[in-house]
Amino acid sequence: MEFDLTDPLTLSFQEEHQSDTDIADLFASEADHMHSRNFFSRLKNSDSYVSFRSEAISLVLQAQFSCDFDPFISYLAINYMDRYLVSKQEIPRDEEGFIFDAKTVHKMELLILDALSWRMRSITPFSFFAFFMSFFELNDHPLTQALKDRASEIIFSSQSDMKFSEFKPSVIAASALLSASHELFPLQFPSFNASISDCQYVKRENLIKCFNQMQEMVAMMQVYSSNCETFSSTKTPMSVLERNKLASSESENSSTVTSTTQCDTIISEKEDNKRRMDVMREGGFVNKPSFLESVNYPYWKARMKAFIKVIDENA
Amino acid sequence: MEKYEKLEKVGEGTYGKVYKAKDKSTGQLVALKKTRLEMDEEGVPPTALREVSLLQMLSQSLYVVRLLCVEHADNRKDASKPPKPVLYLVFEYLDTDLKKFIDSHRKGPNPRPLTPSLIRIFLYQLCKGVAHCHSHGVLHRDLKPQNLLLDKERGILKIADLGLGRAFTVPLKSYTHEIVTLWYRAPEVLLGSTHYSTGVDMWSVGCIFAEMVRKQALFPGDSEFQQLLHIFRLLGTPTEKQWPGVSTLRDWHVYPQWEPQNLARAVPSLGGDGVELLSKMLKYDPAERISAKAALEHPYFDSLDKSQF
Repeated sequence: MEFDLTDPLTLSFQEEHQSDTDIADLFASEADHMHSRNFFSRLKNSDSYVSFRSEAISLVLQAQFSCDFDPFISYLAINYMDRYLVSKQEIPRDEEGFIFDAKTVHKMELLILDALSWRMRSITPFSFFAFFMSFFELNDHPLTQALKDRASEIIFSSQSDMKFSEFKPSVIAASALLSASHELFPLQFPSFNASISDCQYVKRENLIKCFNQMQEMVAMMQVYSSNCETFSSTKTPMSVLERNKLASSESENSSTVTSTTQCDTIISEKEDNKRRMDVMREGGFVNKPSFLESVNYPYWKARMKAFIKVIDENA
Repeated sequence: MEKYEKLEKVGEGTYGKVYKAKDKSTGQLVALKKTRLEMDEEGVPPTALREVSLLQMLSQSLYVVRLLCVEHADNRKDASKPPKPVLYLVFEYLDTDLKKFIDSHRKGPNPRPLTPSLIRIFLYQLCKGVAHCHSHGVLHRDLKPQNLLLDKERGILKIADLGLGRAFTVPLKSYTHEIVTLWYRAPEVLLGSTHYSTGVDMWSVGCIFAEMVRKQALFPGDSEFQQLLHIFRLLGTPTEKQWPGVSTLRDWHVYPQWEPQNLARAVPSLGGDGVELLSKMLKYDPAERISAKAALEHPYFDSLDKSQF
């Protein structure tokens, strides 16, 4: 049976609506799938870990773009990676470093499965979409879809940020849907907010904390995309997903760096009929590392190296 | 696998050997189910991944035997050959099953019926477990008293041997080529239907219900043909009217025409509500057969304190 992230327990098989006991089961089992909080809070402050994780995420995203995978696949891959890291298993290596022959890769697969106790049906924020969507009482299908799509984008972006690793999947789902509704239907937002906050399964203070962090993240994303708009000739603001789509269709071409704008972004233009733009999102300050974006991995890597070197020198 | 000490082989499951074993560090008894892991070039086959993760998910129910963990090992019998990867599914160990329990009431020093309240509790838990599997899109396909394990102290019935349907072979012949029992097999399966669904499990539940009451199997056939005749003799030969499409099933033949008998006579100690529920589980047309979820709401269970489940 295929694994659908929005339905990890395959509850939609027979019934149209999830029953109350199924919902209770879902909330009860999400704790089993959580990364250990202590572990992550320790790692969050470890620069080497943060950059290691970022590099791993960038490899996953590269695979996504070059093979045109569904973003849910990358999401799940990164989720497995985080769960593996929490299990604190060593990665097999010999004197010369990591080994990549077929045999070792097969062994590594079993190692990962063991570390994850073969529980591959992770509970993710997407598992809670159906439940929280019922609070919104949107009868219009396109609106519902727009809300889900935007919330999904927010969740995809939040995954690379360690800040969000302390929150339960359900809290991330609720926050992302609220953030999306704040953008898309500001008038209805207060009533959505009130009904989700009253939900018995969600801890209010966690929801508020997560929602605020998410709003910050969304604001950052918007600042960068709007700045880039000002500085570039193209006027189309692009969502992360649109950029992802572009990236996948353009991965064959090598991108050329034409200009560096004031907001420290790189705009790569293509000799293509369609107007396209690729944006490098970065921390706006010298003391913040670059944001990692899909196709800009080589650039990002160079920046990161420089950044780490600076830290080393300062230390 | 050094974690476990194998105590004895307790059976040959449909998919491989089953051992009783002890966790060396905790002393906990476990059932080790050994299955070959057919690795292909791509590593662990996705079917195996899906099945094991489904089992992980289903075993969260109290009425499904708990999968404690999964261990893999490389078995090397002959040093000249490459090792064969095997997977051990480590389940909680329960020392008795419904077949042994019914047998102990039929023969031995103290033959006695199963009490009506116990039958009701066991059937309710069985329906709960089946409803859980079905709501997650999983069919068992081989429900029988041997596959229903009992925790006698706590009075809990748990479904075992959940279908590793696709990753491992379909249970026509068992691992050791012994014939898999046909007694609980639904008529649509016996007639060669390829499109069967949750109804196949509900038929088995009905047969098991009757067996708890009678202390012997309801339809003890020894071949597929005999099995059908047993069913037809009690329930009448099915007609197109009762079961639309039956005569177009692959293995349908012209059978002797039997009239349906009174089902209550086959389960004499069962009350009216019980007989009514049983007759809904043994409907010929799979579409008409009661679902596990609906069965839980049947008046037969009205006298049960459902809050304890």
